[in-house]
Amino acid sequence: MFVILVYDVAQKRVAKVLKKCREYLTWVQNSVLEGEITKANLYRLKRELKQIIEEDEDSVIIYILRTTTYSERQIMGVEKGKFDQIL
Amino acid sequence: MGTSVYLFSGGQLRRKDNTLVFESPDGTKYLPVENIQEIYLFGEVDLTKSLLEFCSQKEILLHIFNSEYEYYMGTFYPREHLNAGHVTVKQVEYYLDPQRRLDLARRFVEGAARNMLQVLKYYRNRGKKVEGHLERIQELEGKIPETAEVPALMALEGNIREQYYRAFDAIVLQEDFQFDRRTRRPPENHLNTLISFGNSLLYSAVLRETYKTHLDPRIGYLHTSNYRRFSLNLDVAEIFKPILVDRLIFTVLGKKMITRRDFDAKLEGIYLKESGRKVFVSEWERRLGTTIRHRSIGREVSYRRLIRLELYKVEKHVVEGEEYRPFVAQW
Repeated sequence: MFVILVYDVAQKRVAKVLKKCREYLTWVQNSVLEGEITKANLYRLKRELKQIIEEDEDSVIIYILRTTTYSERQIMGVEKGKFDQIL
Repeated sequence: MGTSVYLFSGGQLRRKDNTLVFESPDGTKYLPVENIQEIYLFGEVDLTKSLLEFCSQKEILLHIFNSEYEYYMGTFYPREHLNAGHVTVKQVEYYLDPQRRLDLARRFVEGAARNMLQVLKYYRNRGKKVEGHLERIQELEGKIPETAEVPALMALEGNIREQYYRAFDAIVLQEDFQFDRRTRRPPENHLNTLISFGNSLLYSAVLRETYKTHLDPRIGYLHTSNYRRFSLNLDVAEIFKPILVDRLIFTVLGKKMITRRDFDAKLEGIYLKESGRKVFVSEWERRLGTTIRHRSIGREVSYRRLIRLELYKVEKHVVEGEEYRPFVAQW
């Protein structure tokens, strides 16, 4: 499946959350990551994030799309980050 | 799941923040380590030991290609995590018994020949003049059961493939891409270069799928195991060459996605330039992800998955004695 993950966490945990998310997803812009992920890996990611964030202060939202077939991605302005298979 | 990443530009591949990062003059790119199965290194890439340790731990294969030419140099094959002693023993048992080895080897050749015929039939139905080659391959195919030894079988396979490649001229119909004869190391003309490049991509794709099974890729049946790193992937690749590599070549040439301008002549051989390699690789990736309806499973499977299913069948053949029947395309 494909997920879009956005986070809003206290400044001192921003870097930690970003690093953890980068192991599984691709950074697209500040506080936003996206990418293909398996159910199991999403579960792992969530569990690991849970240990980093303070649940009464921070928030992480994950949008789950079964496939990207019926979705469309429109970009205005610069595209800051994307996953490239061929570099 | 798990994607492949192809690195064409030069740079440094490192472990950073517990994930992979590729630093090149074009910028820094993070690669989500949990989602990557294999990395193809074409460019001049610096690696460190800690990166190799990390790749091994994350079960990521690194396929290394000579950066100037597109020779396949080898694969950093991480520590086996699925290998089962039982399966290895069975594989060896089949290898050591001449009769059983020959039987399995014949099946690979049989599968390869039938897929070649399938490709030619497709083009015959579209009015290409391949009839003569088709008949000769059918004739040669009939001799497969008569071969008494693996080297003879290899030779027969060579003859079949020779006939098959000759039919390419009637299919491609471009003067820039005449087959002439099969040349390797180095390929001496443009079509041969494409064949070699495509085949090496296929070998590594099969190897990667082998890694996900219990099989030991070092023990092959048609291709002798001794003195070679991996050979089982070469055996299984034979079956898929016509359906995956050759059809891809017809596509990129037919649509003029790759033309003579995408090649360079070096020393003695002809090589694909980076532009051509990139086109070929992205089409290759697209093809591997394409799904077809699998008759016996009754649902959609990708070509990549199809390769793995083939390996499972080989495993069943050696472990449980369930006869291996190679996959034959229906279209």
